[in-house]
Amino acid sequence: MDIFLQQLINGLTVGSLYALVALGYTMVYGVMKLINFAHGDLVALSAFAGLTIYVEIFGEGKNSLFVVLSVFVITALIIAFVGVLLERLAYRPLRTAPRLSAVVSALGASLVIQNSIMLIWGPNMKIFPSNLFPSTIWTLHGVVFTFTQVMIMGISALLMVGLYIFINKTKMGTAIRATAIDQDAAKLMGINVNRVIMTIFIIGSALGAVAGLFIGINYRGITFDMGWMYGLNAFVAAIMGGIGNIPGAMLGGILLGLFNAMISGYISSEWAETFTFVLLVVILIFRPTGILGETIAEKV
Amino acid sequence: MRQSYKIAIVFLIVMGFFPLFSNSSWLAVGTTFLIYSVVAFSQDIILGRAGAFQMGHALFFGLGAYATAILNVHFGVPIIYTFIPAILIPLIMAIVLAGPIIHLKGDYLLVATIGFNIIFIQVIQNDVFGLTGGPNGIFGIDVVRIFGVEFMSQTAIYYMSFILLTLTLLIMRNLDASKYGRAMFYINKDDIAAQSMGINVRYYKLYAFALGSAIAGAAGSMFAIQYSAVSPEAFNVVQSIMFFTIVLVGGSASLPGVLIGTFVMFVLPEIFREFATARYLVFGLAMILTMILRPRGIWPVKFGNIPNYLKKDTK
Repeated sequence: MDIFLQQLINGLTVGSLYALVALGYTMVYGVMKLINFAHGDLVALSAFAGLTIYVEIFGEGKNSLFVVLSVFVITALIIAFVGVLLERLAYRPLRTAPRLSAVVSALGASLVIQNSIMLIWGPNMKIFPSNLFPSTIWTLHGVVFTFTQVMIMGISALLMVGLYIFINKTKMGTAIRATAIDQDAAKLMGINVNRVIMTIFIIGSALGAVAGLFIGINYRGITFDMGWMYGLNAFVAAIMGGIGNIPGAMLGGILLGLFNAMISGYISSEWAETFTFVLLVVILIFRPTGILGETIAEKV
Repeated sequence: MRQSYKIAIVFLIVMGFFPLFSNSSWLAVGTTFLIYSVVAFSQDIILGRAGAFQMGHALFFGLGAYATAILNVHFGVPIIYTFIPAILIPLIMAIVLAGPIIHLKGDYLLVATIGFNIIFIQVIQNDVFGLTGGPNGIFGIDVVRIFGVEFMSQTAIYYMSFILLTLTLLIMRNLDASKYGRAMFYINKDDIAAQSMGINVRYYKLYAFALGSAIAGAAGSMFAIQYSAVSPEAFNVVQSIMFFTIVLVGGSASLPGVLIGTFVMFVLPEIFREFATARYLVFGLAMILTMILRPRGIWPVKFGNIPNYLKKDTK
């Protein structure tokens, strides 16, 4: 039972991270029908940029609320800017091109970001300082919670609720939903599609940036190629939840995190990815539109 | 399509005489180029012709290579006999793996095939049944012996790869001229229309998968002979992405396009070794630029004289 509860906590933590990253994928896919392969690498970039900002600007060892908050905000702004730049340079020129051209461009962008990180920060693992968050630990019936884990779950939940409200209650959110349903019709209704897409990239990249910083703070070791695996897992989570569906991405992320943690806890962490993809294929066979996805008749 | 016959013949003649003018290290590069061209063409059958988004092709390439390596090193089967399982195993696996998911829409298929590739790598890295050698792979693969004659010089291996490529090109030529090739082309253009014309979309897509995987398996076997070793990195998702990119950057279903793509991805890096660290950065930029400037690839395929007003890009 203890192992179950412990893995539940670990699973919820990693699941929150997957959910944050998955939101970026699902929003872009919903509107542009494009797998943004570079999104995972933005997450990795955020961890590196955040580390540099923290060490160079504020200096290691400072961990007041102001400093930590500034690191998060500045990093999120930078990554959001990179995301917008990515869309402008690599995706916008290909909006009317064949589908696969944009996929190749996204793969290219992923390579560019990943290798830029490697050239700037070097190929070796960088270690996040341990004192960014207080190292408080609570123990409850033998189950260990760290302060960082609680923060990850709490802040992710807050961000997701915020995003849900933004998408469902604001004018821009309505525009995003309309564009996702039919881009041409949205344009005819006077929606500025370019601005919608820009907004999506800003929000998605900023959420990814928060996830990247959390990954650095929680797991400490960061490598230039870690974005690929987080990105792939998050994309799998987005598909599980129903791609293009925002609550689906949140649910998919949490469920995948829990699934991974249970596999690692009870079976073996060496086979974690295998189980993830077997689960994906099973879901795709029995419910191709995902858990929350609706079956839409294909337009001809 | 006449043009691509001419290009194929010129290419085969050039490659046929290439060993006469090159030293052994260039011959090794040439062999690698031939093997990877075969894999790229087999990817082109699945992705470029049948239009199935396959991003796990290194899996089938690897199955062929590991079939040869395991049978030869662990069971002492002569290389020449391992060709048969190296072709059959990928073929059967392609049908078993792709069968249940072949109906999926493009991007879902893409992610599922990436998943298969990742599972394959994890299986060989975890050294299942002690056969795959784990992360180090398998060393010491024998040379090809036919009736007691050893084919171990680089030139011999080069010409074996050359024969394999020639056979692949023949298969592709026959495919293009057959009912199967036409059905695949139609499915690629519009699968719903194809289905309503009575084409069994599922059957032909699976056929493309099986054929492409079998050819990739043969190339894998050649790869194992060339390097006399196999290891997981040669067949991971990055390689699959390379094959996927080669076809699209070069030009789907275009013979010169796929050759150019293979050359750029696998031969240029050998020439520019000093830029090794920045290599993938340059690749990435080149991928983006090529797609923006030439969305249909560097050398897109042309079909007859279609009037301009009918040439509308289908999604």
